[in-house]
Amino acid sequence: MTKYIIRRFLGLIPTLFVIITLSFFIIRIAPGGPFSEERALTKQVLQNIEKRYHLDEPLHMQYGRYLLDILRGDLGPSFRYKDYDVNYYIRISLPNSMVLGLLSLLLSVFFGISTGLISATRQNSTLDYLSMSVAVIGISVPLFVVGPVLMYIFAMKLNLLPTSGWIMSGDSWKTLLMPMATLALPYFAYIARLSRASILEVLRSDYVRTARAKGLSESVIMFKHVLKGALLPVVSYLGPAFANIVTGSIVVETIFRVPGLGRHFIQSALNRDYTLIMGTVIVYSVIVLIMNFIVDVLYGFMDPRISYR
Amino acid sequence: MEKQEILRIENLKTYFNTDDGMVKAVDGVSFILNRGETLGIVGESGCGKSVMNLSVMRLIPSPPGKIMDGDVFFHGKSVLSMSEDALRELRGNKISMIFQDPMTSLNPFLRISTQLVETLCLHQGLSRSEAREKAVQMLRLVGIPTPEKRIAAYPHQFSGGMRQRVMIAMALSCNPEILIADEPTTALDVTIQAQILEIIKDLTVKLKTAVILITHDLGVVSGMCNKICVMYAGRIVERASTDDVFRNSKHPYTRGLIRSVPRLDKTTRERLYSIPGTPPSLINIPECCPFHPRCEHAMDVCRVKYPDETDFGNEHKACCWLYGDSNRTG
Amino acid sequence: MAQATVSANQHPLNQFDQPIKGVSLWMDAWRRLKKNRMAIYGLTLVTFYSLLSLLAPILPIYSYKHQVLDHQYLPPSLTKTAGELLYERQEKTLMEAARDQGRSELNEKEKEELSALKQRINQETMVFDGKAVQVHQKRYILGTDSLGRDLLARIIYGGQVSISIGLVGTLTAVLIGLIIGALAGYLGRTFDYIAMRIVDIMYGLPYMLLVIIFMAIFGRNVINLFLCLALVSWLTLSRVVRGQIISLKNSEFVQAARVVGASTGRIVFRHLVPNILGVVAVFTTLQIPSFILMESFLSYLGLGVQAPLASWGSLVKDGVDGMKSYPWMLFFPGLAMTIFLFSMNFLGDGLRDALDPQSKNKL
Repeated sequence: MTKYIIRRFLGLIPTLFVIITLSFFIIRIAPGGPFSEERALTKQVLQNIEKRYHLDEPLHMQYGRYLLDILRGDLGPSFRYKDYDVNYYIRISLPNSMVLGLLSLLLSVFFGISTGLISATRQNSTLDYLSMSVAVIGISVPLFVVGPVLMYIFAMKLNLLPTSGWIMSGDSWKTLLMPMATLALPYFAYIARLSRASILEVLRSDYVRTARAKGLSESVIMFKHVLKGALLPVVSYLGPAFANIVTGSIVVETIFRVPGLGRHFIQSALNRDYTLIMGTVIVYSVIVLIMNFIVDVLYGFMDPRISYR
Repeated sequence: MEKQEILRIENLKTYFNTDDGMVKAVDGVSFILNRGETLGIVGESGCGKSVMNLSVMRLIPSPPGKIMDGDVFFHGKSVLSMSEDALRELRGNKISMIFQDPMTSLNPFLRISTQLVETLCLHQGLSRSEAREKAVQMLRLVGIPTPEKRIAAYPHQFSGGMRQRVMIAMALSCNPEILIADEPTTALDVTIQAQILEIIKDLTVKLKTAVILITHDLGVVSGMCNKICVMYAGRIVERASTDDVFRNSKHPYTRGLIRSVPRLDKTTRERLYSIPGTPPSLINIPECCPFHPRCEHAMDVCRVKYPDETDFGNEHKACCWLYGDSNRTG
Repeated sequence: MAQATVSANQHPLNQFDQPIKGVSLWMDAWRRLKKNRMAIYGLTLVTFYSLLSLLAPILPIYSYKHQVLDHQYLPPSLTKTAGELLYERQEKTLMEAARDQGRSELNEKEKEELSALKQRINQETMVFDGKAVQVHQKRYILGTDSLGRDLLARIIYGGQVSISIGLVGTLTAVLIGLIIGALAGYLGRTFDYIAMRIVDIMYGLPYMLLVIIFMAIFGRNVINLFLCLALVSWLTLSRVVRGQIISLKNSEFVQAARVVGASTGRIVFRHLVPNILGVVAVFTTLQIPSFILMESFLSYLGLGVQAPLASWGSLVKDGVDGMKSYPWMLFFPGLAMTIFLFSMNFLGDGLRDALDPQSKNKL
């Protein structure tokens, strides 16, 4: 088991490496950066950059410095905002995004599995068709349609929920509801479908037939025998799901004006503030990688075929 | 020995409604099982033997399958009309099953101990520790070395033969009256097969369990069973004691099966015999004797009507038009 | 022993003189698909959308790019012409202004304004593509957008763009994924190892971010859009194809074919490919909606298709901006897009169920 964990952990390193290298080159190559004559940057920013990037040194030394900086946690200065560096922006906005992302994930997992379970046990009933249709809608409607529609209904017409504001900046907890619901919807839908299909498949397996032949009741069969195996695909999905939530949160933060990392990312993409862009990407990637790692380990714990080799 | 009837199957019909048509997997099967007997059910793949056994305990997946007719009586009580609760009392407790593929029949996510203990706790009301004790004993009985340690393992940590032993231990742990063994050795190596059959034989004799042994291997039934039912295309075409089947078989199919077994005592240079043709698909079979396309004695009547059962005495019965009107049972 | 005789309609007969109907994988799948009502609805709708997109140039609808600034933000109407709506709007504004001043009737000056407007409505023509059109006689069934362009036309043409992006992008991804996956599976060893390492690494990256960066750097044209989206989507397919090929490579029917003397080409095309087509078909149907969503995502952020081209994504973006006062601008494009994605998803699901041999007559 420990070998498995170590192996998985080591697998993270090449990816991280690629991202950091990509980041290094993009900052240099991309048009409009400090290294091209396209843009007239203020003297101060130029000076900062020259100082930071030691532009007179050969390329491989610059690369080495960049690596070391990153490893020390320093993501460089922002192009746009002369007095601040990337770390600052990340520090103030990341917690908001994390709160939104994790809560949405929890919401979608909890409701997704429950819905899938209920649907599977009442296969082909009206409830089943209804939930699965809702699920298909969930994965078909884009986030940026759902968000505004929710806002239109609940905030503008019914006046039940606030249109903007954020709990962590001191506003009420109600500000959480719409962003979370919007972000959680497609993943709830996917998990519901996935768990339903997985549970149904396990219900058809030989070992469930054995369990029935032993006289166990349906509820014992479901909760003791079926769920453990049936939830494995859902656990596998959590990794990519989280990665997608990260990208989805960008839109949701924009719509509901949540002060998270996503909004900065978009701004910086449109502004061509490359250090901020790449800094954000690195942070996001690290988070996604760690999440994937945790999920892999969790999977290893849940599937005895892996842990007990 | 006093014969005491414990299981009676009467005209059981289980059909499956599929895209291609109605599959008559079991089409009117009847037999009786007495206490302590070992009954062998023999037939080629696809003749309906497994479906019949699943029907006995109502384990047929309900769409698309359905028990259309007939009944199953356990100690005189109808199994098909029982409540769910009463049925669950029976399963694993009075009637147990072991299946063909031990690899997929055990839950890969639970330890052996869990899977053994739950049956014991459920049916015999034992406490966890008592049940675990009993489970270890059962594992020892089936020949698993150091059972106290092995019991905590997961199924994939056992070999195929060991897994089947675990299944046997699980099935017999509550001392059932009937053990249904659905091709228990088909998925195993030949050398292991003999061991498994030995175990089944020993234990069932010791515990006085009646056994229904389903197989396609005549060699297996000859060693283990008192009586044999030969199945073809969803029906029992011949039933008799083991001796009668091997020495005095009446139905052409049975004869064909026996002729197909290679013999060491005959040193001829002839080709090995096999019954010509293939078993029919069970979809929309017309009214006829299903064996007629492969039978060398086929007559016109065989093509249009299913033969009535003929009684040859000593509980030897067969369904074939060769034995015409004179010997008909009722 | 029974001979294989042939019945009247050329089906071979079995031992019981019943005709045996041959069943190929596709016929079987089609039969199963037909029974799935939602999948058939999906198929019908998708065909309808595709036809609309294909036939758009010859359909009797207005152009998607002609702007009539007078006609800004007109609500949808089945019966009233643009002129009538303009007139009503102006009348309402004047009446409100009058009420603010405490009057309940229009004065002379305002009435003159209205009749001048009416004159203009009846006579004004604009020239589009060399043809003079009585512009205020137009009927906008789904309303107009911020520049007076017909929403229905924009939705249809937007559909053209979105669907083709989905289709072409998916096909590109399929091509890449198929080739790499098949090669990796068939050749094995080094090629396989390297390819799978690359897939692993790329899987770990939040690709949407990369796409955004790509578009931000290299410009916002449609070609880049295709390339970029295709580059990140081939991963799943390559893994699946590789898995299939590996398991098929060693399967008994391939060995049997080799033993009988079949050439590699024959093995690949007659045996391996049909077994993979099913997976590829399912992937394609489910990936197209995914592509369309990604593209609309990018358009929403301003990185997708640029004006005057429209895609459903950009239409929704425009709609969101004006949502409060002009809800139809969000509602209709959003609805059109959702229905299409919905249908494709049901179709994809149905295909997957139909092609899955597992569910075949499970006894």
